[in-house]
Amino acid sequence: MAIDVIMPKVDMDQETGTVARWLKQNGEEVRQGETILEIETDKVAIEVESPASGILNGILVEEGETVPIATTIAYILEPGEALPDAAPAAEERKTDQKVPVRQTDWEVSVTPVARNMAQATGLDINTVSGSGRDGKVTKKDVEAALASPQPFGNGEGKVYATPAARRIAAEKGLVLKSITGSGPDGRVQSVDVLAYAAAAQEVARTTIVPVPEFVSAPSSGYEVFPLQGMRRTIAERLTASYQSIPHINFSASIDMTRFNEARAKLNARADQNGSTRISATALLAKIVARILTRHPWLNSSFKDAQGEQGAAIHLFNAVNLGIAVALEEGLIVPVVRDAANKSVAQIAAEFKDLATRAREGNLAPSEVREGTFTISNLGPFGVEEFTAIINPPQAAILAVGATKPKVVPDADGQVVVRPIMRITLAADHRVVDGAVAAHFIADLKATLEEPVLLL
Amino acid sequence: MREITYLEAVREAMTQEMERDETVFMIGEDIGPYGGAFGASFGMLEQFGPERILDTPITELGLTGAATGAALVGMRPIAEIMFMDFTTLASEQLVNQAAKLRFMFGGKATVPMVLRTPAGSGTGAAEHHSQSLENWFVHVPGLKVVMPSTPYDVKGLLVASIRDNNAVVFVEQKLLYKTKGPVPEELYEIPLGKADVKREGKDLTIVATSIMVPRSLEAAKQLSEEGIDVEVVDPRTLRPLDEETIVQSVIKTGRVLIVHEAVKTGGFGGELAGVIAESEAFGYLDAPIVRLAGKDIPIPYNRTLEYHAVPQVEDIVAKARDMVQMKV
Repeated sequence: MAIDVIMPKVDMDQETGTVARWLKQNGEEVRQGETILEIETDKVAIEVESPASGILNGILVEEGETVPIATTIAYILEPGEALPDAAPAAEERKTDQKVPVRQTDWEVSVTPVARNMAQATGLDINTVSGSGRDGKVTKKDVEAALASPQPFGNGEGKVYATPAARRIAAEKGLVLKSITGSGPDGRVQSVDVLAYAAAAQEVARTTIVPVPEFVSAPSSGYEVFPLQGMRRTIAERLTASYQSIPHINFSASIDMTRFNEARAKLNARADQNGSTRISATALLAKIVARILTRHPWLNSSFKDAQGEQGAAIHLFNAVNLGIAVALEEGLIVPVVRDAANKSVAQIAAEFKDLATRAREGNLAPSEVREGTFTISNLGPFGVEEFTAIINPPQAAILAVGATKPKVVPDADGQVVVRPIMRITLAADHRVVDGAVAAHFIADLKATLEEPVLLL
Repeated sequence: MREITYLEAVREAMTQEMERDETVFMIGEDIGPYGGAFGASFGMLEQFGPERILDTPITELGLTGAATGAALVGMRPIAEIMFMDFTTLASEQLVNQAAKLRFMFGGKATVPMVLRTPAGSGTGAAEHHSQSLENWFVHVPGLKVVMPSTPYDVKGLLVASIRDNNAVVFVEQKLLYKTKGPVPEELYEIPLGKADVKREGKDLTIVATSIMVPRSLEAAKQLSEEGIDVEVVDPRTLRPLDEETIVQSVIKTGRVLIVHEAVKTGGFGGELAGVIAESEAFGYLDAPIVRLAGKDIPIPYNRTLEYHAVPQVEDIVAKARDMVQMKV
């Protein structure tokens, strides 16, 4: 039977790969494990081994072409065996070489059988490229993904690693799941963990820019406000954050029509029940928390350490959502714990209570600790768009602007007026790559624009 | 230093201890005029006379019982069982009496005896004369089990065994009898329960016993030509076991291959694997613990089959290489 050669996934966040060079040509005999081509991702160039022994044939992807991961790029045939029917000739294929690259898992469509298969086998459907119409993921795609070498054993989502690798990863605070194993059947060896740690260390080296001295003051005099208490804390934390964390910002416009509708319905119900009304912030918090569970790198913390040992990225299991509350003397960020698993009504009630007590100065220290992500909503003040500084040791903060009626083109290109909100994500670039943040923003935008997707 | 054989080291240890201590004597089958099945006591009858070199009828149970009784009343007997296979016959006295008496008398009685016996295959002596049954005795509290691999270790460990106040099963290896090595002429003791790192290395630990020590050393030499740096640890005493030396070696290398001649199932390798897995070394293991041992069959008479029934140098080389190259 023909064995597919597929575009492998060699990077954590790799979507596509480019065939750099075929080292074997159609009709050449190859052995299993022999290098048959070189591919490039946006990070690395790497050699690809033949998945089987036989005759290489039906090369589908020419040198220089980019295709999604897990795409069949050639076949290994037995001597005398014909190419499978499904294999289009390279010429034919070239005409539609623009394979749509999926941007978010909201845009991916999956056939029911493919979804069931993926669930049954513990395969992350988001890592599978669709070959069906409009990039729909089909049974065939899931089969291809399952046939491709799995980086980590098959212990139902458990990581296949040696005890030494586990110990070293634990000591360095590394997530074993992120590390590709080089041992038999992809077992993570100690050498893999050490290499990963060394690479992470390299990425983590940041340059700290000295702060210029405050040289002179205006001659008109000034009022002295001693730097103490909350002011000092804010000053120190934000200075440290801005100096040590390489911030990157991502903005998007959100059509809030459906969000507002959803909130109106929830509030109609709340009014009926006499329960807490759902503030826009509360509904936003609920949606952000849920989306964060799908984007763990945004819900994380960069742990710097003295020397070479111990630096790591901690991906948190729960979303403890900090929501900034403006006070007369500054601001404070109470934390709604495990927000992803709370109902919007719970979040609304909890946040209302926290905000009220924050303004009264009655928050317990534990209520402002252990946040994993922060939302700062300046919309109520009329601010349309702003950037925020990350609240360390978190890795990201979402700055939310006011929702304003804006003239925008609709899906048919007609000019319409829609409630538009601008959001800007600031993320720690040591942890969050551009594409990772973009996926989060796209996912968040899709859900805010169609909150029913949360179901 | 002068070199003598493993067999000569056995004889020298016994002779020097008998010269030093009147309570030491030998008892066994054909140990007198014949000098023992392998010649261990050759010439000793002439030196010490028939009262201290006691030839017995063919009765392993009887001679082991006699040794146990003599030890109880203050002698230090060395019983020789011609082949380890025949320790099955001596087991009642050894396991149920010699091993228990000290405990049953609350420490007031001791059984300072040594039961020497040659184990192992490779001589074409087939099913009844080739077994390695050491682990049966390792399983018995009250017995010590010693398994030397070099002439130097033989002398020091046998002297320590004779002087020990417990029943010691001293397991020799037939093919090793003719191997030579440096041995001091004077008396010395190697403490029981002290392992020896026979070769230092960083990539893989081989824990080997008896004849598998020289085979592992030869394998290590061949592997070093491929750039694989093997450490060879010889426990020397199986009970009490020097866990610390083994564990430290595994912590250093992260990989351990256990090699012994006895059949794999129920063999000492399982015990070693358990000790390692339970220890601090667990968190340093970068490969499964692997055992290379005798096949689960009686030793065949056919020389080719016999050869392949137990680990050979090439088997050790292949397995160690696979482990270091992360194929295991």
